[in-house]
Amino acid sequence: MNQENQCPPQTNPFKPEPARIVRTYYLTEDVKFFQVRIADMEKALSFRYKPGQFAMISVLGAGEAPFSISSTPSRPGLLEFCIRKAGVVTDALFRLKENHLIGIRGPYGNGFPIQNMKNHNVLIIMGGIGAAPLRSVLLNCLDNRDQFQKVTLLHGAKRPAEMIFRDEFFDIKDREDLECHLSVDQDDTGEWSENIGVVTTLFPKMEKIDPQQTYALVCGPPVMYKFVLQELLKLKIPRDQILMTLERRMKCGVGKCGHCAIDYIYTCLDGPVFTYWDVLHMRELI
Amino acid sequence: MRIVKLKQKNLNPFLEVISENTELWAPVRKYTDRHVFAQVEDVSQIDVDYTRTILPPRKIFLPPSFNMFTATEKEYKENFSHATKKILFGIHPCDIHGLLIMDQFFNYVFEDPYYTQARNNTLLLGHSCWPDEHCFCKSTRTHIIEEGYDLFFHRLSEDYLVWIGSSKGDDLIRLMPDCFEEKLSDEDIQFYIRLREQRNEAFQTEVNFTAMPDLMELKYNHPLWEKIGTACLACGSCTNVCPTCNCYNVMDHPQLKERGSLIHRDWDTCTLQSYSEVAGGENFREKRSDRLKLWYTHKIQAYISKYGKPGCVGCGRCIATCPVDINVKTVSQALDGKDVDAFWNRLNKGEIK
Amino acid sequence: MNKDKVKIGIYELTGCAGDALLILDCENELLDIFKAADIQSFSMAKSDNIDGNLDVVLVEGSVSTEREVEELKDIRKRSQLVVAIGLCATVGGIQARFTNPKEWEKNFKKVYGDVKMEHTPPLQSKPIDDYVKVDYYLPGCPIGKEQFLHLFTRIVKGAPPEKYPRPVCVTCKFKENDCLLNRDILCLGPLTADGCGAACISHNLPCVGCWGPVEGANLTSEYYLLKEKGFDVEYIKKKMANYSGTKIAEFFEKIKEEKK
Repeated sequence: MNQENQCPPQTNPFKPEPARIVRTYYLTEDVKFFQVRIADMEKALSFRYKPGQFAMISVLGAGEAPFSISSTPSRPGLLEFCIRKAGVVTDALFRLKENHLIGIRGPYGNGFPIQNMKNHNVLIIMGGIGAAPLRSVLLNCLDNRDQFQKVTLLHGAKRPAEMIFRDEFFDIKDREDLECHLSVDQDDTGEWSENIGVVTTLFPKMEKIDPQQTYALVCGPPVMYKFVLQELLKLKIPRDQILMTLERRMKCGVGKCGHCAIDYIYTCLDGPVFTYWDVLHMRELI
Repeated sequence: MRIVKLKQKNLNPFLEVISENTELWAPVRKYTDRHVFAQVEDVSQIDVDYTRTILPPRKIFLPPSFNMFTATEKEYKENFSHATKKILFGIHPCDIHGLLIMDQFFNYVFEDPYYTQARNNTLLLGHSCWPDEHCFCKSTRTHIIEEGYDLFFHRLSEDYLVWIGSSKGDDLIRLMPDCFEEKLSDEDIQFYIRLREQRNEAFQTEVNFTAMPDLMELKYNHPLWEKIGTACLACGSCTNVCPTCNCYNVMDHPQLKERGSLIHRDWDTCTLQSYSEVAGGENFREKRSDRLKLWYTHKIQAYISKYGKPGCVGCGRCIATCPVDINVKTVSQALDGKDVDAFWNRLNKGEIK
Repeated sequence: MNKDKVKIGIYELTGCAGDALLILDCENELLDIFKAADIQSFSMAKSDNIDGNLDVVLVEGSVSTEREVEELKDIRKRSQLVVAIGLCATVGGIQARFTNPKEWEKNFKKVYGDVKMEHTPPLQSKPIDDYVKVDYYLPGCPIGKEQFLHLFTRIVKGAPPEKYPRPVCVTCKFKENDCLLNRDILCLGPLTADGCGAACISHNLPCVGCWGPVEGANLTSEYYLLKEKGFDVEYIKKKMANYSGTKIAEFFEKIKEEKK
């Protein structure tokens, strides 16, 4: 037994850091964007994270919940989140205005294996709220563009108004160092200039890539996975180079509360990013 | 390891002396035939003739419900009021093993300060025990303890042999040096060895743990689980009485009279329907059988793969507690292919008229 | 009146008014309760009630007349959030335990004879979610102080609590009570929503279920367990029905079918 620790520990992993909402606006009808800065400047700058990691956000009086970080570590200082209204904590969060204080702790989880992805093609496939964790990795790739081979983005939404980060993606769509395909299931505006159809209809439009040299990152609603995975297997991308992020109930983020347990895996420590191979070989994963 | 001898009649005076400035927690009687760990003011309340307490000793380190923070938007003030200096006397080997498992768990990757603070502030004074019909700690190899305690009291006929497990334990002995004899007689040693052999023979329940990880895997989709699920009352008692369960829930309690909140941490139970529900209402384990599988995976499979020993210490609390016979003994026997006389079997065979 | 304060109405339908009374019984907190919120309507506590638009209403009592149906629908229209408080509003109460409509009519006649009630035609007693959408349930007969204050404070400070249903057994174990089922006593703890602090069992009395059925309760298993322990089937059913209102009617149908 460790007898040394008689005084309160230096760090309490459960202790939220007060953080200020710098900017917040609606991305779609039920998804809101939050730009946040940890109040203590030193801590704000030392908050180092990897794309794919998450943070616990607390709203005093409502509670705490896990959210993927949508900003990129290549632009330190501000943290960004893209949050869908889904429960008590998000309801309370949506009511908060700019300058309001919230609590933040993290970063938690494994994140995407950026080191392994270097010098590979990166194929990012997002649907709906799946843009939240994948925007982080996309921006990180673009900010460190020379570290990666081909970068491709496939993004699908139900309708133009439901496309998260639509303006942002339209801005980067024509970059020469990015292949970007956007699609909506249905165009109810009559003004949509891009593809119409589910996200898998974008696959034939993609330029050929060497599957062995490619990491595919997928995040979206459950229905999307099945069809996207079929396409990725058709492309012959190895199953341990297909990465997906999963959602579970979490109360702590640090492997103690037990809520995110799957077998002896804790989604908060061993995930939320899993390979397709993990998913095939672990019970209960999807 | 140093071993000394104490006259049984000197035990209570010793406990009185060492607890003069420290909370003393020990087994006391509840109802006529049950025991609980409680803070004792008067050492005569202590009853060492017990088999198991209703709740395991982890309640002393992480109470069922406690306040983690007194919080305002600007500051989350930590509350460690549960982690007072304590002496826990009378804890049995299986429960010490339970705490050793908790030690590993709560220090894995991140340290949980609420646990470790309380743990570091508590001295463990173990006490020997005798198995009843539910004890199966011999099967989990947790019936003997070689580490993790500060003192361990082995009761002989008139004396205690006291194992000194730490320098803090030794400091306690030094508070009453005259009561402890350094020299053990050959008879004492022979008596101890005989007692140990007799105790080994006294176990009535056995569980084949070596086979369990494989059986859990092979029978993960076996209809047996559905049957067990039909009987489970989803009352959460098995997890609450388990010495190695760690799950908890966090709830924000805003204060009516002033600004800010108390952030409470309450024991949670994976057998409850609400346990795996995520925001938006989706539930990953809506079925009772799925939730039971999670619990048993943790107790008899996953810990073995992760830490090399089962997440069960054979204390028998789940056997003594579950009203419908769902416990480590019956479930592992059923996984082993045995026809168990359990409520779920009688229920599914339609034996209850 | 402060514009920022949450506008609350507390309404009573058919019941003993015990829940409204319990709110008044929070004597140490009463001033803070009225300070923290703009309580617009609370007929047990005050006379200058305004029936306007509200943020939150707490509704006590079951629906048992046609007039109450209209009143409830009006309340729902005027409020953002509807909270059912107490057993009668959440499950229908003791008065809803005759789940079979024929039986209700029979009983009604037995009590009132052939009287025609034209002013407020009576209905079989039902929980309020039979007529309107309910956002939150606060069970109990009557509701518990601790749970009420928690809910109330959460609401006035911005967010209702996360729903986290758990049975009485959880708190009962926290209090280290010996399980009464294991002593062959008919205890409804596993079927009953938590919130009372396992009050009865802590005094060595079995749980009678007055907080109503908990979500996820395994009625079938408990029924057969009690049967195996030798309890009379009708007695078990009576005990289970007492505080379950209309919420376990389906279960009784199932038991009936299994018998056939």
